[in-house]
Amino acid sequence: MNHKLELRNVIKTFNSEEGEIKALEDINLNVKPNEFLCIIGPSGCGKTTLLRLIAGLDLPSSGEIILDGKEVKGPSPDRGMVFQEFSLFPWRTVIKNVTLGLKIRGINENEQYRIANEYIELVGLKGFENCYPYELSGGMKQRVAIARALAMDPSILLMDEPFGSVDAQTRNVLQEELLGIWKRTKKTVLFVTHSVDEAVYLADRVAVMSTRPGRIVECMDIDIARPRKRTSVEANEIREMLLMRLGSEYQKIR
Amino acid sequence: MKRNNWLSLLEGKYRVEIISLCVIIVIWGLLADFVVKELYKLPGPISVFYAFYKVREVIPLDIAVSLLHFSMGLAAGAVVGITIGGLMGWFRVIDRAIDPLIEIVRAIPPIAWIPFAIMWLKLTHYSAGFIVFLGAVFPILVNTYAGFRGVDKVYIDAAKVLGCDKGKDLIKYVAIPHSIPYTAAGTRIAIGIGWMCVVAAEMLGASNAGLGYRLWSRFYLLHMMDRLVAYMIIIGLIALIMDRIFRYFVEGKILKWKKGTVAV
Ligand SMILES: Nc1ncnc2c1ncn2[C@@H]1O[C@H](COP(=O)(O)OP(=O)(O)O)[C@@H](O)[C@H]1O
Ligand SMILES: [Mg+2]
Repeated sequence: MNHKLELRNVIKTFNSEEGEIKALEDINLNVKPNEFLCIIGPSGCGKTTLLRLIAGLDLPSSGEIILDGKEVKGPSPDRGMVFQEFSLFPWRTVIKNVTLGLKIRGINENEQYRIANEYIELVGLKGFENCYPYELSGGMKQRVAIARALAMDPSILLMDEPFGSVDAQTRNVLQEELLGIWKRTKKTVLFVTHSVDEAVYLADRVAVMSTRPGRIVECMDIDIARPRKRTSVEANEIREMLLMRLGSEYQKIR
Repeated sequence: MKRNNWLSLLEGKYRVEIISLCVIIVIWGLLADFVVKELYKLPGPISVFYAFYKVREVIPLDIAVSLLHFSMGLAAGAVVGITIGGLMGWFRVIDRAIDPLIEIVRAIPPIAWIPFAIMWLKLTHYSAGFIVFLGAVFPILVNTYAGFRGVDKVYIDAAKVLGCDKGKDLIKYVAIPHSIPYTAAGTRIAIGIGWMCVVAAEMLGASNAGLGYRLWSRFYLLHMMDRLVAYMIIIGLIALIMDRIFRYFVEGKILKWKKGTVAV
């Protein structure tokens, strides 16, 4: 089997003042090339922790994370990440945010700008190249963050509730655009969300996580033909199943 | 037509400010002439205006000398403050190692160093410059420290994911740009304190030239209070102008990405 990404028995515990916190317990997960995988779970269940481990920003307490056959040992531009919080550098303009990674990679300046412009156009922000982040709306900031990640041509795109803090209308538009980008760039996408609607609209497959310590309790294929309709009968059925599965997780919190 | 031009001042944008200033000068004059009536205690506006004229020849040189002392101290303060503040903000060990020393030295008013400045550096320009340095370095250091220390973790993570794996890159692309507004705010405070230090150092014997020196040794000791007031006004105006220039330059040019947040 050739997997894009493989997580084997990944465990993560944090040492805090109140003692050990077990954030992730025995995560096993395989992601296929070009797959759009959503990870869904109640807040605090370890979704961010899991993405950070894959990004290499933290190391697992035990277990292995293997991307393209190599074990993840630290952060690298072959894993693009869009963060839950706004993460654009406020002191750099839109275009300079996108070129930074290319610059560090040592690409010459003309090429940096050519690539950056291409991705800025891809996320629909042509004309905003020289704006500073404070001049952009929340949705626009996340689009730039997506462009910044994609410009590095990563092997996998990690997205941590990227549309969590934009309004519902913008959110729908962004989801649609993300699918368009995914189709065109053929990236593998790992998308964290706590919204069932979002997962059902976007994903090829949904992994449901339990409350802390986070485990993957179920993987569900979403066999709905694309382009999808948010209100279709099949979507409703899957949504209901996911909600029930998640509901039993929320029950445990109370 | 001439008359009209004069009157138009009273209709312009700054009419309230101009009228207020005129009223203050009139009150000052009345106080000096009819209440205090002693030139040594309160010279009136007219004698002060005349004093400007009497000392017009030495003003440029005194300003130049004081600005020299000031810029030497401020430049040294900026270099040392930014370097040490940045290092302390970035490396926890360095912070812990020199923080106690910094806290103690910072608590001593710079003016208390004047005797040592004279002992060590004699009556050179370095002597007053050293006092300015002591006044300027700490606000810059402390603010730069806060700028480095306070970098939001998400920016560090974002930079790491983009390939900044070396500390050098993180400092260059994240910590330094993040700390610039802080350092700018610190520098603005340093300009104010540094200017006070110039005048004090020159007055208290760390120099035999400059605005402070002349104010004390040539005017006060000879009780030429009208000239003294003229110099006080010059000192105040220079501080005001420096602050305005700095704000214009920094807020308008360097910190376009952070509109209107540097005012301290
Ligand atoms: N650096 C850390 N130190 C200690 N505990 C942490 C740390 N990061 C996360 N946690 C804990 O791990 C759990 C999972 O957090 P997180 O992954 O952010 O959840 P989610 O993203 O699903 O909301 C939380 O209980 C959180 O308090
Ligand atoms: Mg999270």
